[in-house]
Formats: sequence, structure tokens, C-alpha cells
Amino acid sequence: MRLSVVLRYVGMVMLFVALFMLLSAGISAVSGYDSAFYPLLLSASLTTLLGLFPMIFVEKTEQLTTKEGYCIVVCSWLAACVVGMFPYLMWGGEFTLVNAWFESVSGFTTTGASILNDVEALPRGLMFWRMGSTWIGGMGVVMFALVILPSLGRNKLTLSNVEMSTLAKDNYRYRTQIVVQILLVVYVGLTALSTLCLKMAGMNWFDALCQAMSACATSGFSTKNLSIGFWNSPMIETILIFTMAVAGIHFGVIYATVTGKRNNIFRSEVTRFYLLMLLAGSVAIAVSLWIAGTYEGFFTSFRYAAFQFVSLVSTSGYATADTNLWTPFAIIVLIFGSLVCACAGSTAGGIKVNRLVIAGKMLRARLKQQQHPSAVIRIRLDGIMQENEVTNSVMVFIVAYLMLTLAGTVVSTMCGVDLLTSFSAAVACIGNVGPGFGEVGSLDNYSGLPVLSRFVNTLLMLFGRLEIFGLVQLFFIKWWR
Amino acid sequence: MTGLRRRVAIGFLSIVCLLFFSGMISLFELSHLSRDTGDILKANKRNIELAKRMLDAAHEQNVALIHLAVFGDRSYDSVCRNRMESLENTLAVAQSEALDKSFLDSLAFATTEMRLLTDNFLASGDGTPFRTAFAPLVQADSAALASRWYQSDYETLYGRLTSAIKSYMTSTQSSLVPRAEQMKKNAYRAVTPVLISLAVMIAIVLMLYYFMSVYCVNPIVRMNKSLGDYLAFRTPFAAKAEFKDEVLGLREKIEALIALVKQSGKTQ
Repeated sequence: MRLSVVLRYVGMVMLFVALFMLLSAGISAVSGYDSAFYPLLLSASLTTLLGLFPMIFVEKTEQLTTKEGYCIVVCSWLAACVVGMFPYLMWGGEFTLVNAWFESVSGFTTTGASILNDVEALPRGLMFWRMGSTWIGGMGVVMFALVILPSLGRNKLTLSNVEMSTLAKDNYRYRTQIVVQILLVVYVGLTALSTLCLKMAGMNWFDALCQAMSACATSGFSTKNLSIGFWNSPMIETILIFTMAVAGIHFGVIYATVTGKRNNIFRSEVTRFYLLMLLAGSVAIAVSLWIAGTYEGFFTSFRYAAFQFVSLVSTSGYATADTNLWTPFAIIVLIFGSLVCACAGSTAGGIKVNRLVIAGKMLRARLKQQQHPSAVIRIRLDGIMQENEVTNSVMVFIVAYLMLTLAGTVVSTMCGVDLLTSFSAAVACIGNVGPGFGEVGSLDNYSGLPVLSRFVNTLLMLFGRLEIFGLVQLFFIKWWR
Repeated sequence: MTGLRRRVAIGFLSIVCLLFFSGMISLFELSHLSRDTGDILKANKRNIELAKRMLDAAHEQNVALIHLAVFGDRSYDSVCRNRMESLENTLAVAQSEALDKSFLDSLAFATTEMRLLTDNFLASGDGTPFRTAFAPLVQADSAALASRWYQSDYETLYGRLTSAIKSYMTSTQSSLVPRAEQMKKNAYRAVTPVLISLAVMIAIVLMLYYFMSVYCVNPIVRMNKSLGDYLAFRTPFAAKAEFKDEVLGLREKIEALIALVKQSGKTQ
């Protein structure tokens, strides 16, 4: 492991983060040099220095090992979260050290959970930085560095293989130039389209851009205390439902659909399952709310149910209603959605639909095997036979995911937090969803949790974002040799 | 081949920059803080000074009014008017300088009332106001009437006026809490960037140490060892120097020197 090479690439990512800080400082200047201007400018300068330093010392390297690739990605994420705290800490307000760390990690991991009681008190520059961090995180810090710095030759593939979920690689069997193209077309295109639609639906340009950035990153950070409920507009909700649902689909599949390629949305088994799950979940919750009389009429129930369910499954976490007041059935369905989440290869976190589909098929195969012990049963996904290694890793991942969720719940309950809040916070954080239930409900925030619980939840966010094993490997000394 | 020198220079320059940077921030923020503290003290002093002037004016006007009402000494007319004007002028100054004018509302109201009462009194030098106010006791002598007027009308108003001036005097203390909060915030803002700069500096120093070890110290140690082995046991000189800098130059020169030594040994 060449630590100096790792530092050089992490430095590149720092420079990219600094660029966004500078952009936010620009927004601050345009907004009449609000109180976030100097914190952002100072943070950008310090981050630039931190990023430039290893780049001056270490010479460009063409070949990276897989270990180095892993290390670059994980360290980039951690470093981005650390420098992302700078503007918050310098600005002050509600941001203590733990709160700033929470907000920064929540942004970069696209969780969208907040500790802010009054989001609207933030100056525009800092608000934009919050959205910017989540937008960078949505695509993956390293992937963005690759878009900006297209002179890395073969290194790109090594990094992108590490960055993405194992299951996401199938649709990225393109040349690396195409991967960059996919990211640009889908992510930037979706953000631009969403911004335009939200503006036309009645938001101002700033709110539309911020909401679109957050929705495409499936983060759920909002510029308003009441989240999307502030606008109370079915049109805005429809646009965001579409954006969030699309952002939860594998980017390669979206690209294939847009460019008329074979492996498109209509042929993808996982995407079909995902879309069906969104529809079925929304209808089930709507019926439950309608029968319980929570809202008047089925369509009003469906409006709120669809928004909340899509919001949680896509791991955005926007809110238009207080889900704490919903029926127990609706809450269970929403928790299920928060556990499964969207597709691999998207900006979403969670267990992911792909793994759920494979786990379901494994279960069926196991039952068949019981009936026909000598049969050779293959598991296929989208017509591709899945190796044993893949299916085993799926099960290991699900077990590890649930164990970490349990551990997070235990720590929070030890801090005196009630069971529903502890469990839903752990599920929401490891899945990078954002809102949970109880004290951390859709219209609440994490400021009420004890410091230790908040910190543990940030670790869960990082575990979720880095698909658990990426972060775990960093702690093995043997791995560093 | 000036890579090493440039790298080291840049490393130390970065640290110097950060030191300068954090120093400048703390200087800027601390001067800001000191200015804020000075402002608060100045405002406090000014407030007490104005309140004292108003209290003095009210007191002197009170004395003048006693002379007028009880002893009928009309020479105190002008004193009474001057003090009233002085009170009003000081109030106007206080109003123009005050950050929070709400503290002066009750004082302004009491002053206006006092002005009306005084004007009324001075306008009727024959004691009409007491006679009107105390019609049932009209038979009583005017001195008794005046003292009754003084007690029932004037003294109450005077009490209200002086208490309003005193509450204005303590108003700075009341507004001190939000100002202190603001100062606390400013102090936090002064300290945080410096702390962050220091943290970044520590990271840079650690990186510099690491890079110096990797690019400078380790290759020289390796070369030293390899050269020692060559001299002692004639093992081939094979020190690794990966980067195009002075260390690589040194290695190449040592290799050339060894080759030269070998060649001269053969020729002998």
C-alpha cells in the first residue's frame, strides 16, 4: 500500500470539495455577503491547502491496486466529511462539534438527517453548501473527481469498481469514458430537468435548485423547516416523486433506456420489482390511511402515502406529513421501505432491491432443493446467472446490515432513547434515508438525541454509504501492509 | 533536479502561510471582540452620564418649583424653564444615541407630562392651577394649596420621572445580556477558525514528516547502508530512488563513482 499515492488522490477530492465551498461562497456573495461568506471562504482556502499539499509532493501514478482504490474511496469520504464540517463550525449557530459532524456526514452520505431545529435560519451560502455536499455525495466523491480530472488513465476503473455496489457493476461494463458520460447525462440532466420543473411549479430558482440537487442525490435536505410540506402543492410533490423514483434506479439502466439500448428499464427485473414495490407500498399505505380516516378520501391518502413511501424507499426522506400520526400498518410498511431502499447503481443506500430479489430467489431455490435434493438450481438475475460468490455475499451483507442496525439500536437505547426512535433512527441512518419515527419523525430532527447516539448514527451512515465492508477493512492493520 | 528543495520549501511555506493565516484571523477577530467590549463599556458610561444629567436637571427644576410654589419667589421662573429644557435636550440626545429606544418610552412620556404641568404652573403665576384643582378648599391660604398641589400632582409625577430616568440608567445592564450573548458568539467565531487552522496545520506537519521520510530520509538511509555494504563486503550498490530529484541524482553519481573506481581498479 502506497500511502503517499492514496494521499494524492484524496487531495484531488479535497480540491473538488473546496471548489464547491467556493461556489457556495459565491452564492453567499450574490446574496449580499451573508454571514456564511467568510466561513465558506476560509474553509475553501484551508481545504485547498490540505488538498494541494500531497499533490505537490507525490508524483502522478498510473497504476493503482485494488487495496489502494478502496483506501482512496473510504479516506476520501471520511476526509470530505471532516472538511465539510469547517463551514458549519466556523458559522456557529446550532453547530457544535458533534452537530457539525452529524450534518456533514449526513450530507456527504446523502442521508439527509439533520440536527437543525431552524433550517430557515441558515444563510443562503451555507444552505447551498449543505445541498452541495449532498450533491457531491450523491454521485460519490471519487466519481466526481474522475469527471473533473479526466487524465488518470486506467485508474478510473479501479476506483469506480470500489465506489459502486458489487451488484451495480453489471451495468457498468462499459469503457470508463462511458461511465463518466452516464454519470453526467443522468445525474446532471436529472438535476437540471427537476430544477426547471420545480421552478415552473412555483418555487423560486434557489429553492428549486436546492430541492432538485437534494432529490437527485436522494438526500432529502430541504430549505424549509416543514420540508416539502411547506409548499403544499400536488404539482411539486408529483415532480419530486418522479425525480426521487428515477434517482433510485440504476444509472446505467436509465442511460440505456435514454439511449435506446437493450438492457433498459422495461427489461430490468430489478427495476420492475422496484417500481412495482413503490406502487404496491403506496397503495397499501393509502388504503390503510383511508380506512383509518387519517385523511379525507382515497386520493388524498394516496397523495401523502405515495410521497412518503417513494421518499423513504428512494432514501430521500422528504416529508409532506407527520408519519408518526399514521397507522401502525403504514409505519411498518414505511420501515420495510427504509430497510430495502432502491436499486444498486443509484445514489440510494440501504440493503437494495437487487439483494432482496436475489435473497428471495435463494429462498425459493432452497425450498426447491429440499424437494429435489439432486437438482442443480441456478439463480438468475436479468437473465444473468449469479455466481455463488455473489449470492453468498448478498446474504453476508444482509446479515451484517441487520446486525449493525441492531447494534445502533442497542447503543441508542443505552443512551436512554425509546425503542421506536432508536430502531427507526438506526434503520434510517444505515440506509441513508434520514427521517425515522418517534423523536426523529418525518417533521422532527436528530437534535434531541444524546451526543453518543448522534455519533453512532453518523457511523451507521458511513457504514451504509460505504457498503459496510469498505469501511470495516480500513480498521485492519494487516490490510495496510 | 530541484524537486527536493522545492518540495521542502513548499512544505514549510504552507506551514508559514497557515501560521500567518491563523494569526491574522485571531488578530482580526480579537480586535473585533475588543471593539465590541469597548463599545459596551462606552455605551454604559454614556448612559450613566446622560441619566445623571437628567436627574440633576429634574432635581434642580424640583427645587426651583418648590421655591416658586411655596415661597412665591418668581425669580426661579427662568431656572425652572432652563432645567426643563435641559432635561428635554438630554432626553433628545439619549433618544438619538439609544440602540433600543423602548427603554426611553416611559421617560419621554413622563417628561412630556412634566413639561405640561410646569408650563401650566408657570403660565398662571397667581396660583390658578391650585385654585381650580382644590376648589372646595378655596378659603385656605395659597401656600397650603400650593403644598397640597405639590404633594398630590407634582410629587407623583416627579417620582415617576425620576424612576423612569433610573430605569433608563439600568437599561444598559438589561441590554447587556443579548450583547454578552453576541460577544460570546463572536468569541466562538474568533476561536473556531484558529482551532481549525491549527488542526489543518497539524495534518500538514504530519504529512510533511511522512513525505520527508519517504522522499528524503529513507532513500538516503538506504543509500548509506548500501554504500556501507559495498565498501565492507563488495555487495552491489542497489539503493532505490523512485523520484526524479536530488536523491536520484546522488544515487546516479554514486553509481558512476563506483563504476569509475571499478574501471580504475581494472586498469591498475
